Amino acid sequence: MQRHTMTRAPRTSAGIAYAVIAGMLLSALSPAAIAAPRDQAKRIHDRLVGIPPSEATLTQMAALINSTNDTAGALLAANLAIDRNRIESSPFYNVTLKNFVTPWTNRDQTVFAPLNDYTATVIGMVRDEVPFNTVLSEDILYTASSGGAPAYSPANNDHYQYLEDNHVDLRTALQQTTQSSLSGLPPAATAGVITSRAASQAFFVLGTNRAMFRFTMLNHMCRDLEQVHDTSRPPDRIRQDVTRSPGGDSRLFLNNCVGCHSGMDPMAQSFAYYNFDETAGRLVYTQGQVQPKYLINADNFKTGYVTPDDHWDNYWRSGQNSLLGWSQSLPGKGQGAKSLGQELGSSDTFAQCQVEKVFRNVCFRSPSDAADRGEVQRIVGVFKSGNYSLKSVFAETAVYCRGD
Amino acid sequence: MMHILTPRSARFSGTALLMVLGLAGCGGGAETAQNPLTSAPTQPSSYTGPAPATADIQAFKISVWDNVKADNRCGSCHRLGGQTPDFARMDDVNLAYQQALGIVNLASPADSRMVTKVASGHNCWLADSASCGAILTRWISDWASVTQSGGGKTIQLTAPPLKDPGSSKSFPVTPPAQFTAIHNLLRANCAGCHSSQSATQQQPFFASSDPAEAYAAAKVKINLDNPALSRFVVRLRSEFHNCWTPPATSSPDCATNATVMQAAIQAMSDAITPTQVDATLFLSKALSMYDGTVASGGNRFDTNVIALYEFKTGSGNIAYDTSGVEPALNLTMSGADTNWVGGWGIQILSGKAQGSTAASKKLRDLIVATGEYSIEGWVVPANVTQEQAHIISYSGGTTARNFTLGQTMYNYDAFGRSSATNANGSPALSTADADEDLQATLQHVVVTFNPVSGRRIYVNGVFTGDSEASGGTLGAWDDTLAFVLGNEVSGNRQWQGTLRLVAIHNRALTPAQVQQNFEAGVGQKYFLLFSVSHLVNVPQSYVIFEVSQYDSHAYLFNTPKFISLDPAARPGSIPIRGMRIGLNGTEPTVGQAYKNLDTAITDSLYTATAGQAISNVGTIIGLEKGPQFDEFYLCFDLLGSHSKVCSNDAQPVIPAVANVPRPSDIGVRTFEEISATMAGITGVSPNVTSIRATYANVKQQLPNTENFGGFLAAHQVGLAQLAISYCSALVDDDTKRGQFWGAPEVLNADLSAQGGLDRLINPLLDRTLGLTQLASNPDRATVKSELESLVSTRLCSSGCNPTRTRVVAKAVCATAIGNAVTLVQ
Repeated sequence: MQRHTMTRAPRTSAGIAYAVIAGMLLSALSPAAIAAPRDQAKRIHDRLVGIPPSEATLTQMAALINSTNDTAGALLAANLAIDRNRIESSPFYNVTLKNFVTPWTNRDQTVFAPLNDYTATVIGMVRDEVPFNTVLSEDILYTASSGGAPAYSPANNDHYQYLEDNHVDLRTALQQTTQSSLSGLPPAATAGVITSRAASQAFFVLGTNRAMFRFTMLNHMCRDLEQVHDTSRPPDRIRQDVTRSPGGDSRLFLNNCVGCHSGMDPMAQSFAYYNFDETAGRLVYTQGQVQPKYLINADNFKTGYVTPDDHWDNYWRSGQNSLLGWSQSLPGKGQGAKSLGQELGSSDTFAQCQVEKVFRNVCFRSPSDAADRGEVQRIVGVFKSGNYSLKSVFAETAVYCRGD
Repeated sequence: MMHILTPRSARFSGTALLMVLGLAGCGGGAETAQNPLTSAPTQPSSYTGPAPATADIQAFKISVWDNVKADNRCGSCHRLGGQTPDFARMDDVNLAYQQALGIVNLASPADSRMVTKVASGHNCWLADSASCGAILTRWISDWASVTQSGGGKTIQLTAPPLKDPGSSKSFPVTPPAQFTAIHNLLRANCAGCHSSQSATQQQPFFASSDPAEAYAAAKVKINLDNPALSRFVVRLRSEFHNCWTPPATSSPDCATNATVMQAAIQAMSDAITPTQVDATLFLSKALSMYDGTVASGGNRFDTNVIALYEFKTGSGNIAYDTSGVEPALNLTMSGADTNWVGGWGIQILSGKAQGSTAASKKLRDLIVATGEYSIEGWVVPANVTQEQAHIISYSGGTTARNFTLGQTMYNYDAFGRSSATNANGSPALSTADADEDLQATLQHVVVTFNPVSGRRIYVNGVFTGDSEASGGTLGAWDDTLAFVLGNEVSGNRQWQGTLRLVAIHNRALTPAQVQQNFEAGVGQKYFLLFSVSHLVNVPQSYVIFEVSQYDSHAYLFNTPKFISLDPAARPGSIPIRGMRIGLNGTEPTVGQAYKNLDTAITDSLYTATAGQAISNVGTIIGLEKGPQFDEFYLCFDLLGSHSKVCSNDAQPVIPAVANVPRPSDIGVRTFEEISATMAGITGVSPNVTSIRATYANVKQQLPNTENFGGFLAAHQVGLAQLAISYCSALVDDDTKRGQFWGAPEVLNADLSAQGGLDRLINPLLDRTLGLTQLASNPDRATVKSELESLVSTRLCSSGCNPTRTRVVAKAVCATAIGNAVTLVQ
């Protein structure tokens, strides 16, 4: 280890620590070959729970890895680490999952946003192994029973802010309920996290509600609009507010704008009855009445599409984006956000996206080579056949990236 | 058979001919008729012949005859004893009227023989025949507006000639090799003007030294399917435009020039394979845009217009004032990037279009006379970021103006000099920020002024709500200023965008008149009648689109309808599905808005007057060869009993995914993981007040991503602060300390002895490194040695007492948990 050259002894604990920690950092950065079960167990625990295991847990996990062939044993060890009945697994729910989900819930995609109903609902669904393909469509919400916490309100985030500020253990405190029972939304108008307060506040506020579609694509299909750009789709559902000749040059529309809007606008129509009321601080749903935001700037292209209702169509079922793997058991059209959420959640890309997100979170990289991609496909298979348990995806992925 | 319809409502008549009145009388109630503004081109000798016998002859005299009789107009030839018809004879306006009736079409002034003859080049008194045509149209319209109860526009739907969609040649995306010969001819003989590098540049720049720029400009002048009809050839052969001297000759020879040019175009055409239409598909008959029936032009309220720019010329550097109000306030386009755009308009990116102060004076004179004015424009701002950008201005620099319409980001600004404002027209009236009325798309904007209510701004026919309390008088207007578009006369208020039409009125337009002019639209629209009689059992049946050139790069196809020109015909029930617009033998990939169409033409929805709407949406289709040459047709997946899918989507291609090197498979813990790790090791709750405060401070200073590459010194500082906070809470809490270090009291340990060091350090190592050495962890003995050295050589170099031991314990603890052992995962 490198020697320090300071000549005067620092007089405070802070000064001392600053001086020494920097030097010690270097000592751990030289990776050694990782092979032993205890090392594998530690990494699995680190990656899933976010903190090092206790001595007892490490020993228990290592024993599991040792007891059978290593992959199956490692899976047992991983499941042990995130076992909701063990107190030591709390940071998996309170920290790992929370920070995994939080960037999905705001426009800045920042992880430093407060805990909210969107995040809590995903954490709860993972904990309870609720089929995750319903995350965009189910009438579901998680709140917490915690003394002192303000009651859930559809008009503010106080409930969740309290839970975070006081480090309430979400592993035990979260309880499943329904949005319709607490927010007043008709059950048919609920659409999983899409109609959560946090998502509404972030993506239904102002604008034209296209943000909700874009961010849902980004967060749950792992595709920004540029990646689903297809100019060959019919433009008949592009609304009036999209100019066909931006700045007087229609080539921009024909080569760029139409590529996203032709597919997006007919699907974002499913959100036609939603708005976030900034004054009231809550989601507003006007059944049968299209929000005015869908009809703004009508003179930009007078014969553009005028939204009459919340009927949506998936134009990406044909063309290049048919590769997104849409479910053949669904019609590819419907009314409202719930059925659109089902359409997205049932696609191959949705499942693939969830696994890739977990892969990045656990392995610290995107799938990089054929081996990684093959493993992702295998885990996608496990995810689908395992009733869309995202928790199992975490465990499977941690096993793959446990080191060798 | 002809049908007639209004441009907007498109109500069809069941009779062969029907007059549909326009909107000149809209607004209701008794109105005061206002005579159109005209003034004489030159001072003619005063008329001494018989008085006009009827009101119609009087209208003819005021609107047409007074304008055309002069020696420098039609009166030069079509006078008494001159060329027939002598509609400009000066001896008797009643006889002139009789002659004029034979060459005007009051129902459709633009179709008058007088107009079409002059517009095609017959003795136009301006350099641009189209502008003469526009001016004559306006004069005849003014006449008709008196006689025809307001000059309603009549549109006669005419069945187009039937032709099948033919094979067609399309321009390659990049200039083909054979273009070089054409380019060389253009460079050698046309670059003196038609080049952006020329000192006397004239649009279009098909003689540019840049082949790509030249190719783009030359396409619309080349007819690949019939090279002899190429504009390049016709311009030389028939119009004798700046012909050059062929080699080994001594004088210009237009015929030879044309032959050489045609041969070069023919060579390029021969090298391009025609696009064949699939004969098994079910297609409508084909049309070009100019085969359609003109659908616009007569519904504007222009009674008080005193300067009008429709930008129809398309070449050269003069934007003609076609108001017909003399003197013509023609504008000279100048600047590095001022271009004509397709579908009528000019694009100004750098430069301006400015009139002379002498001609501009008419604005001042005519507006001060009424005390009112309106500035009207169809504009396309290039962006919503430009500020202090002047769109339409009558001014003398940045400090003196009579009026200006400008842009500040999303706002329109209206400056206007009056007794209530200063000589710079300030304070300006602007549209409200929050409304974002200005958008970077085609917009109709009007600023009106009258002495009572002052300025008002209308966007897209609607009053924006932006107005002022009162107006004032215009007596102080300066008659030495100049009218300018796209900039300030001083050149330092550049506006970027496209102007499709500009009009100045010397009256404040009423809201109804603003709405009327907005509804009238801009640019030339055509009704394209795609015959489908051969596909459905309905005589003279058509699918009709309203089509216009949208800008330089696209056509707008609007609101298709099905109709038969036979008023007795009934469609029965005709299913229609999957309609595509074909262009030059192929189906454009982009813009097929009717591909998902699935409806039926039925007797219950069809009327002989209105037909049946097929869709209420419009779409734009990319322009290829230009409106003269582009040929359109329709294809149907299903129409009536005929069914065949026009085209299928291309097979999707699975994108290849490239392998990338795996980055490091270890990383750092992120902010909350670090806190949780420290809490786990120390057993101290993160809810402890001091820790909450520290964590709140350093939370965003800690790593927020696992990536090693993003780890910075600042992260380490935050990490140390948090470690100290946890350790301080641990050491200061007797219970926690006891649980962590056990008995006896660690603070009583003799740190000068090994036993004391072990007592302090070993529990820390047990909790951070574990009881068993892991390969991924630092070597326990090395870490212990380092911590011992820290104590013995630094912290307790002068000895440690219990008070000092507390500090040392915190320091050693923070060192043990605030390092890579806990940071790296």
